[in-house]
Amino acid sequence: MVQTHHCEDHETVGEDKEKRPKFFINDHVDILIEILKRLDGRSLCVAASVCRLWCTIARNDSLWENLCFRHVSPPPSSVRSVVLALGGYKRLYTGCVRPVRSRLGRVRRASWAGDEVQLSLSLFCVDYYERLGGSNSNGRLVGESSPSSLMFLCKPVNV
Amino acid sequence: MVLYDSATLGGSCSGSSSSSSSSKPPPLQQRQQTQQDIDGLLAGAGYRVRSSELRKVAQRLERLETAMVNSPADLSQLASDTIHYNPSDLASWVDSLLSEFTQPPTCPSEFIMDPETNQTVVSDAWTTAEPHMPQVHQNISYEQQSLNNQLTVDNQLTVVTAMEEDSGIRLVHMLMTCAECVQRGDFSLATSCLEDMQGLLTRVNTVCGIGKVAGHFIDALSRRIFQGIGGGSINGGSAYENEILYHHFYEACPYLKFAHFTANQAILEAFDGHDCVHVVDFNLMHGLQWPALIQALALRPGGPPLLRLTGIGPPSPDGRDSLREIGLRLAELARSVNVRFAFRGVAASRLEDVKPWMLQVNPKESVAVNSIMQLHRLLGSDLNRNSPIETVLSWIRSLNPKIMTVVEQEANHNQPGFLDRFTEALHYYSTMFDSLEACTVQPNKALAEIYIQREIANVVSCEGSARVERHEPLSKWRTRLSGAGFRPLHLGSNAYKQASMLLTLFSAEGYSVEENDGCLTL
Repeated sequence: MVQTHHCEDHETVGEDKEKRPKFFINDHVDILIEILKRLDGRSLCVAASVCRLWCTIARNDSLWENLCFRHVSPPPSSVRSVVLALGGYKRLYTGCVRPVRSRLGRVRRASWAGDEVQLSLSLFCVDYYERLGGSNSNGRLVGESSPSSLMFLCKPVNV
Repeated sequence: MVLYDSATLGGSCSGSSSSSSSSKPPPLQQRQQTQQDIDGLLAGAGYRVRSSELRKVAQRLERLETAMVNSPADLSQLASDTIHYNPSDLASWVDSLLSEFTQPPTCPSEFIMDPETNQTVVSDAWTTAEPHMPQVHQNISYEQQSLNNQLTVDNQLTVVTAMEEDSGIRLVHMLMTCAECVQRGDFSLATSCLEDMQGLLTRVNTVCGIGKVAGHFIDALSRRIFQGIGGGSINGGSAYENEILYHHFYEACPYLKFAHFTANQAILEAFDGHDCVHVVDFNLMHGLQWPALIQALALRPGGPPLLRLTGIGPPSPDGRDSLREIGLRLAELARSVNVRFAFRGVAASRLEDVKPWMLQVNPKESVAVNSIMQLHRLLGSDLNRNSPIETVLSWIRSLNPKIMTVVEQEANHNQPGFLDRFTEALHYYSTMFDSLEACTVQPNKALAEIYIQREIANVVSCEGSARVERHEPLSKWRTRLSGAGFRPLHLGSNAYKQASMLLTLFSAEGYSVEENDGCLTL
């Protein structure tokens, strides 16, 4: 009797706790997306390794779109179709925007944010063009070279 | 393209006097010591230096220069605080200045510690007797003294960097001498010069710096002397090879990227508001310039126009139509980004063979003509017919283009005199190689260097119609283009901003973009 009383006590305490619904973030994907939208690139990649759901969400290109154009106001509207055609925002970010931003960060001026994106887009386009060449024809034209026009962005500067 | 002068060849005036010594037999030594042995030539310039001390003074001067260059201290205090002896007594003047540099204990780096005695070398050298020091000849001439001779005297002064510099300076002098012989037509002397230089080259570091550039110039000179001025073997590189080299040059250093992006920006601004545009590219290669333009046109406010591209390029052997392949790739890119696109390829081995009707320009469309380092090839004057550059410029004008973008090397390699050309080319290409080294290390560099090497070979060893690399400076191009009826258009601040950003991305030291009356130079 006493025990059940205790149990009941426990249960009432527990019930109090259980009356507050347990909050699993994974049940609320829209909130999760809102949070992930505000992360920076590295955190987003880390988030993609948490679990399968997060991985799927992090792969969603709209998150990366936000990342690319976060500092640009107003966000360009017609860019989306172009970027998607050229390979997607994630690729744009990791290949062009991130190295461009990190290297220009030292001399960043306020007005450059939009120009940085423009430059990244142009470089991205050249890269897409080179990738086209590699996969397309019998490849003799570009030969053995993989798309390399962005190599100068990839190599770390090691003086 | 105006380049930053990194002055690898600078500061060599003191070196010349040290290379002037040659050994003389001992009997002369006694005779000279009894006389009042002030050197005659320097006395004419106002300096009193004993002939017996010329070598020492020259070495001191070199060391002083190294010390000054490497000194961390502010040199202005040297001008105000120190007491100088009369500079006409050159020996003591140099010593007093050198003592200024030895006193502060913080700069020991420029003086090599003598390994045996472990003292700074300067004080030692003055006091040691040098019984076998060669006497200086009265006539200072460029005697090509072998380096070994100097080494036996200098074994106390093992200043390795100075020796390296000295060899580099000597190489440069020998190159100039050889070029002068070639201009005079004295091929036997030139050949012996070449042999000496090749010997000297083994002692110099040829991986970087002056050694590498000198190596290329020596090759080019030997080609000129031994194979004559036809030089067909260089230009006979197949179109495919040229494309590969060009591609690697594009990757390795920012020049071509800068050219493409700037030209694209200008073309974009010129096409603002037009719906039917036509671009003529004088050298299509891989068409790396155009994706960026297509993308920019796709995103321009108001939507993309109908873009036609006409690419001119050399005909490809073995039936492969490389122009058409590039066109297909560009078309696919344009289709992905929803830009209406049409391509046409014109195969011509020389630009002057192209006729305007081949381009099929529609009168209603706006035309842009883009020439990246192509126009200078037309400057070879052929007395039989009209100068090709004028022909080409006139038919370009007849197309009535909205804009014409011209990219050229900023150098003066089209002078009639061989020696002048050689000197200019030496200066220009050594700076070019330095700039290439400043870029981050990539596997492309070697091929990019071969690309530059071919240019060098063409400038130095070819003549007549074989010499196509006839670079001219900006002022001459300006005159020529305005003479043909073109009005200069200033590149806007957008272009400048983009160029600066691109340069920053390359993270290489020493590059800068400059504006030169509306033109951008890198």
